Amino acid sequence: MNTLKTLRSITRITKYTLSDQLRQKSFVVMFFICVVFVFLIRGCYQGNYMVNGQLLDAGTVVGTVSKVTFHIIAVGVMLIAALLSMRVFRRDREDGMQSCILSKPIARWQYVMGKLLGLWVLSVLFMFILHGIIFLITSVTLKVVMPGYLAASLLCSFNLLFVIVAVLLLSLLMPDIVAFLCVMGVGIVGLITDGIYALSHSQMAQGMIQQPGPHPQSDLTWWKIVHYVWPKLSGMQYFASSFIGSSEVFHGFASVYPLINVLLYCLILGALLFRRFRNEEII
Amino acid sequence: MIELNAATKQYGSLTAVDNVSFSVKTGEYFALLGPNGAGKTTIVKMLLDFARPTSGSLSINGLSSALAACRTAVGCLGENHHIPPYLSGWQYLQRCAQLLDMGRSDAIDQCRRIVELIGMQGREHTKVNTYSKGMVQRFGLGAALIGKPKLLILDEPTSGLDPIGIREIRLLLESLKHQGMTIFLNSHMLSEVEKICDTVAIIHRGRLLVKDAISAILKDGDTLEDVFVRLVKG
Ligand SMILES: Nc1ncnc2c1ncn2[C@@H]1O[C@H](COP(=O)(O)OP(=O)(O)OP(=O)(O)O)[C@@H](O)[C@H]1O
Ligand SMILES: [Mg+2]
Repeated sequence: MNTLKTLRSITRITKYTLSDQLRQKSFVVMFFICVVFVFLIRGCYQGNYMVNGQLLDAGTVVGTVSKVTFHIIAVGVMLIAALLSMRVFRRDREDGMQSCILSKPIARWQYVMGKLLGLWVLSVLFMFILHGIIFLITSVTLKVVMPGYLAASLLCSFNLLFVIVAVLLLSLLMPDIVAFLCVMGVGIVGLITDGIYALSHSQMAQGMIQQPGPHPQSDLTWWKIVHYVWPKLSGMQYFASSFIGSSEVFHGFASVYPLINVLLYCLILGALLFRRFRNEEII
Repeated sequence: MIELNAATKQYGSLTAVDNVSFSVKTGEYFALLGPNGAGKTTIVKMLLDFARPTSGSLSINGLSSALAACRTAVGCLGENHHIPPYLSGWQYLQRCAQLLDMGRSDAIDQCRRIVELIGMQGREHTKVNTYSKGMVQRFGLGAALIGKPKLLILDEPTSGLDPIGIREIRLLLESLKHQGMTIFLNSHMLSEVEKICDTVAIIHRGRLLVKDAISAILKDGDTLEDVFVRLVKG
């Protein structure tokens, strides 16, 4: 009975979060711009691409363009999710909704959970619709069905969860825009370390390491640690995109590591968020 | 019904509430008085668990104020009450009813009655950003009455209201008291408090100066204002 009541409270707060966001004109405009952008990409599928003097077959073009758009959409929606999350607590406080909810017999964790779920559901739907449009374009007009595309989209939802939890937490500790920039910074640093790590594993870099020089080994070890410990948003996206097309998905533990890494970060940051909000003064 | 036990709240080096203990009995109409910055709102915030006491404890209905369950059957109106500007007064009241887990038809019934009670018929479906301050305050008070609470905690409920509004609120609170509701009121309206409250407490710089029945405080023909000024200045 009590559990049901708790769930109902959380669902209501989730519903209010969704409807309050959808009420905002800027959100609706942003969504339509993204949809138009995705439709414009359709043109990229129809060109005849030449690589090294050879005409590429349609399958390769569709696979490559789909992956590129997959990544663009996933990164774009991460940015949007961060933008949506950064002001949520402040707006709720200023509008009086926070004190209205918390003056009822509703615990703080239920409030935070409702907000978190609302933002997550909204951004996952946002991303899924955009990815779904690409999926439909390729299946209907190009007759290339990629069921892995939608699965990959759902996998990327964990990246969105990370971004939302991190921005919500940081927005309690620092100005909203700084929280937003910090989380974006985390993503960019992750991308760079992944790049450096990949480069260090390329043959050319291996060759360079073998040459005598001042401490290249220690540098790479440092990067290696950062590479594994840092939130693996780009690694996660890369893992998700491996579901698209015919490439091999699982290469042992290394390929699923980003998923574990991101989920662990979500858990840790989530726990910190609930803990921090418990001590927050409500105005 | 309400119990404060050596409640203390510090903000850095400032002690907003200093070792305050008192209790409010069921059915009592209680007013907490004090000059600006005395710590009245801080006490209300601690009661609603909006701020945690640095030391001491507060309870409602025997439950620690840190537990969400203690806010069952408690209606409240905060000091700087806001309503989301994109909602209508009606939508706000409906949200409050839904958050109390009320059934749909019950929620509609109650909200309709409350709109009448606060005298806002005809305006309930317009957006809150078109309301005056007093109208927002009326809807805030209306929201506090949803779910037929047994305890009302009101922080300056008449702020922003016109003289007729103030009178209406006084009559409304009086009738609620007669229905057995316990009322905890923060106020600067000493004449109003004198007319209707059973007990008062006066705090100054976070310290409790007096807490007693109003009849015991007003001796020798003094008004509440005289007593207040004497205690605070003295
Ligand atoms: N969040 C806060 N941070 C720092 N100091 C605070 C905070 N909230 C309140 N105070 C201080 O605590 C003291 C008590 O404030 P409080 O709002 O409780 O006064 P009040 O009795 O309600 O006054 P008023 O009649 O003006 O509403 C004041 O000195 C105030 O500056
Ligand atoms: Mg106050």
